[in-house]
Amino acid sequence: MTEVQASRTPFVQAVLDAEGAEASEGTGIVWLDTARRENLDAFLATGLPEGRSEAWKYTPLRALAQRAFAPADADAARAANVDAAVFALPGVTGPRIVLVDGVFRADLSVLDTLPSGLRVEPLSVALTLAPEPLRFALAARHRRDAADAFLHLNAALARDGVVVNVAEGCTIESPVHVVYVATQNDVAWHARALVEVGQGGHLNVVEHHVAIGDANALGTVVSDFVLRDDAVLELVLIQDASAAATLVRRSHARVGARAAATVHAVELGGALVRHELTAELVGEGARFDSRGVFALKARQHIDTQMDVRHQARDTTSDALWRGVADGRSRGVFRGAIVVAEGADGSDAALSNKNLLLSAQAEIDTKPELEIYADEVKAAHGATIGQLDERSMFYLRSRGIPQVQARSLLTLAFCRAALGSLPNEALREHLGALLVAHLPTGPAEA
Amino acid sequence: MNESENMTREVAAPVRDNAEVEAALNRRYEAGFVTDIESTSLPPGLSEDVVRQLSAIKQEPEWMTEWRLAAYRHWLTMQEPDWAKLEIAPIDYQSVSYYSAPKAGLKSLDEVDPKLLETYEKLGVPLHERAKLAGVAVDAVFDSVSVGTTFRKELAEAGVIFCSMSEAIREHGDLVRQYLGSVVPTGDNYFAALNSAVFSDGSFVFIPKGVRCPMELSTYFRINAMNTGQFERTLIVVEDDAYVSYLEGCTAPMRDENQLHAAVVELVALERAQIKYSTVQNWYPGDENGVGGIYNFVTKRGDCRGADSKISWTQVETGSAITWKYPSCVLRGDRSVGEFYSVALTHHRQQADTGTKMIHIGKGTKSKIVAKGISAGRGQNSYRGLVKIEKGADGARNYTQCDSLLIGKKCGAHTFPYMEVKNPTAIVEHEATTSKISDDQLFYCLSRGIGEEDAVSMIVDGFCKQVFRELPMEFAVEAKKLLEVSLEGAVG
Repeated sequence: MTEVQASRTPFVQAVLDAEGAEASEGTGIVWLDTARRENLDAFLATGLPEGRSEAWKYTPLRALAQRAFAPADADAARAANVDAAVFALPGVTGPRIVLVDGVFRADLSVLDTLPSGLRVEPLSVALTLAPEPLRFALAARHRRDAADAFLHLNAALARDGVVVNVAEGCTIESPVHVVYVATQNDVAWHARALVEVGQGGHLNVVEHHVAIGDANALGTVVSDFVLRDDAVLELVLIQDASAAATLVRRSHARVGARAAATVHAVELGGALVRHELTAELVGEGARFDSRGVFALKARQHIDTQMDVRHQARDTTSDALWRGVADGRSRGVFRGAIVVAEGADGSDAALSNKNLLLSAQAEIDTKPELEIYADEVKAAHGATIGQLDERSMFYLRSRGIPQVQARSLLTLAFCRAALGSLPNEALREHLGALLVAHLPTGPAEA
Repeated sequence: MNESENMTREVAAPVRDNAEVEAALNRRYEAGFVTDIESTSLPPGLSEDVVRQLSAIKQEPEWMTEWRLAAYRHWLTMQEPDWAKLEIAPIDYQSVSYYSAPKAGLKSLDEVDPKLLETYEKLGVPLHERAKLAGVAVDAVFDSVSVGTTFRKELAEAGVIFCSMSEAIREHGDLVRQYLGSVVPTGDNYFAALNSAVFSDGSFVFIPKGVRCPMELSTYFRINAMNTGQFERTLIVVEDDAYVSYLEGCTAPMRDENQLHAAVVELVALERAQIKYSTVQNWYPGDENGVGGIYNFVTKRGDCRGADSKISWTQVETGSAITWKYPSCVLRGDRSVGEFYSVALTHHRQQADTGTKMIHIGKGTKSKIVAKGISAGRGQNSYRGLVKIEKGADGARNYTQCDSLLIGKKCGAHTFPYMEVKNPTAIVEHEATTSKISDDQLFYCLSRGIGEEDAVSMIVDGFCKQVFRELPMEFAVEAKKLLEVSLEGAVG
C-alpha cells in the first residue's frame, strides 16, 4: 500500500488518482518498476515543498498545490499537429529529437543520418533495446525530502525521454537539438534525459522548450550530463514555453578530469519556471562555465538555482548571470559554490546582476559560498539596480528616443550573458528573441 | 537590587581609574552584601510556575508577569530554528536552571587553570578582573551597583537613565512598558521568545531629547554558575536628536558542559537620533576538541523609527562554541542609516553563523555592511545576511562586503547573502571573497625577521582594520589582543 502522509492537496490527489492506470503497465524491468514505485511513494509521503522549505523560499507552490494535473494523453500527443517551424533555430541543423507532451515523435525528429560515434534515441527505445546501461541513472536513490518532490515525481512518472551518447574521442560538430513541445492543457508531462560524452569526446546540445498555443501544462524534465575525462560539452538551454506553462527542470552535470562543460541558458517564457542546475567537478582540472539570462514580464515567476561543487583539485568554475524583471514578475536566482575539503587550487567566480524595471516586480538573489579548503580563490558579486542614468543620458543626447534607449541598454545588459556563445547564428537569434521579449514601454517609475 | 543572580552583571560606566574602582569594590565588599542566595534559586526546569516564581522573586508588576507568560506560551508552540549552518547538540531546556544562585566555586586564583590565567595576563585584565573572569567566587563580583552609582549622578544630571532592567521595570515601568518588545516581539523567534519568558536582567538606557550622552556606557556580562543559562535583555531608547555610544563585553569561565546564552537587545532611535552599539564577545569557546563552551543565540535588532536616525552595530566575535546572531536594523524612518561592521573568528571547533539584516522601509534609506570572517583549526564560519528593500523604499541604497580568511586545511568559510528587492529605484550591491593568507605576504614578513605567529597576527589585523576602526579606542585594543590570543596555534 502506498503510504500517504502528505496533505491531500488537489495536486497530490491527482497523482494518486492516476496511479492505478500507471501501475498497470509495468515495464517488465524489475529494477525500473521498483525505482518508479519507490519514487512515487517518496513523493506521496512528502508532497510538494511548503513555505518553510529553504530551497523553495522564494518560489511558493501554494497555488500549484491547488491544481490537479491529469497525466498527459499519449495518444493525443502522438496525434498533435506540430509545425516544425515552432522549434526551428538558425545555426541548429543537425540531429533532432522531439518529445511532444513527454512522448517521442519520430515524425518530427531527425535521427536517420547520425554521424558516427553519436547515438541519439528516445528513452523508451533505449529501455527496450538495452536497459542495463541506464540502470545506474534511473535507479539512483534520492533523499526523501519535499524539496526534491519534483525529482521523485519525474523518476516515478517519466515514461520517455532522450538518450545521447558520444563515443570515446569523437567530436560531433553539429549540435543535437533536443526539443520539448507542450500542447495539452491541465496535464502533467515528464521527460528524462541521459547524455554521456565519452573520454575526449566533444558534443553540442541545444535543449529547447516550446509550446503550441497557450498550453498551461506542468512539465518536469530531469537531465543528467556525464562528461568523462577530457570531454567537452557545450550546452544551450532555450526556455520559450507558453506564458501559462509551469516547468520544473533539474540539469545535473558530472564533469571528469580536464573535462569542460559550458552552459548558456536563456529563460523567456513560462508562468512558473524553476531550473535547478547543478555541476559536480569530480576530476582534477575539471571546468564548468555558466552564462544565463532571464527576462521577465507580466506575472512570470522564474527561479534559477545553481549549485557548483568543486570536489577535486585545480577545478575551475565561472558563472555570469543576468536578470531583468518588469511588470508584476518575480525573478529568483541562487548561485552556490561549494569547494570541498581537499579541492585545493580551485578557482570559483560568480557574478549575478539584475535590473528591476517595475515597482510591482521583485528580484531575490542569493549568491552563496561554502569553502572547506584553503588554497582557493573564490569570489562572488551580486547587484540589483536600474539602467545607468549616464548611459541613458548619453543615448538621449544623441537623439535616441527614451523607449529605444531603454530597450537598447537592457538588451546590452542581457547580451553580456550570450557574448561567449560560439554559434554565431544562434547567438543572433537568441538576441532577437530577447528583444522581442524585453519590455519596450516607458519606465513606470 | 538583587545581587543573587546566577549571572553576574556589571552595569558600569567606563572604568576610568583603577583606584576608583578598587575603592568602590572594597566599599561594597565591606558592606557584606552577599544575600540569602540559596533561598532564591530555582530548580532546573521550565514551566509557567517557574516563570511566575521568577517574576515574583524580581518583584515585578503584574503586567510584566503576564508579558512573560504570554511569551512562554508562545515559545511552547515554536520550533528551534534549523536553517543556520550549525551543528547543535540537542538542548534540554528542562535541565537548565532559569534562576539560580552562583554555587561556591573555586576559592582562590591558585585553583584556576593556569592556561586561562595566562590568557588574561596577555589581555592585560586587572587582577581582580581576572579572578572574576576565571569564575572564582570572589565577592567583588557583585560590585556592579556601586560602580554604576558613581557615575549615575553625573548621568542623571544629563537626564540619562542607565540602570539594570529589573530596576527599570520597577522604577521606570511606563517607559519600559512602552518600548519593551516593540522591536523584538515576544514571539519573534524561538530564542527571543525564551528570553522574553525568562530573562533575568539586563540594562536599560534612556537618552532624552537632544541629549548627547556625556560618556560611553558599558556593560560587562558573564556567566558564572554551572548548569545555568543566561538570558539578559537590553533596551536602549534614544529620543529625538540624542546620541549614545554603548559598549558590551562578554566573558565566561571554562566549563566542560555547554551553556546557553540567549539574549535580546532592542534599540529604538527616534528622529535624528544616533546609536552606536559595540560588542566584544569573548564567551568561553570550548577547548580544542570542542568540549564545552557557550551557545550564544542572540537576537539584536535596532529600529530606526525616526527620520534621519542612525544605528551602527560593530561586533568582534571571538568566543562561544556556537554563535547564532544577526544584529539588524529596521530602517523605518526616511533617510535613516544602518551600519554593520563585524569580525567573527572561529578556531578549533567553534561554529559561527552570524551576519545582519537590513530592512529598508523608509525613503532614501541607506545601509552598509562590512563583514570579515576568519576561520582557523576546524572552525566553521558563516556570514548570513539579508538586505530587503520594501516597495516604498524609494532610492534605497545598500552596499555589502564580505571577506573570509582561511587559516588551515580543515576549516570552512561560508557566505549566504539574501537580497530581496521590491523597489525599482533601489540599488543593492554585494561582494564577497574568500582567500587564505598568501605565502607571499608571509614570506615578506618572515624575511624581515618577524616570527610566523606575529606575521599572521599582523596580516589578520590588517584584514580586520576596516572594522576595528569603528570600535571605541579601548575596545579596539582589546579586540586586537583577543584575536591574537584566539589565533594562537593556528599556524605552524
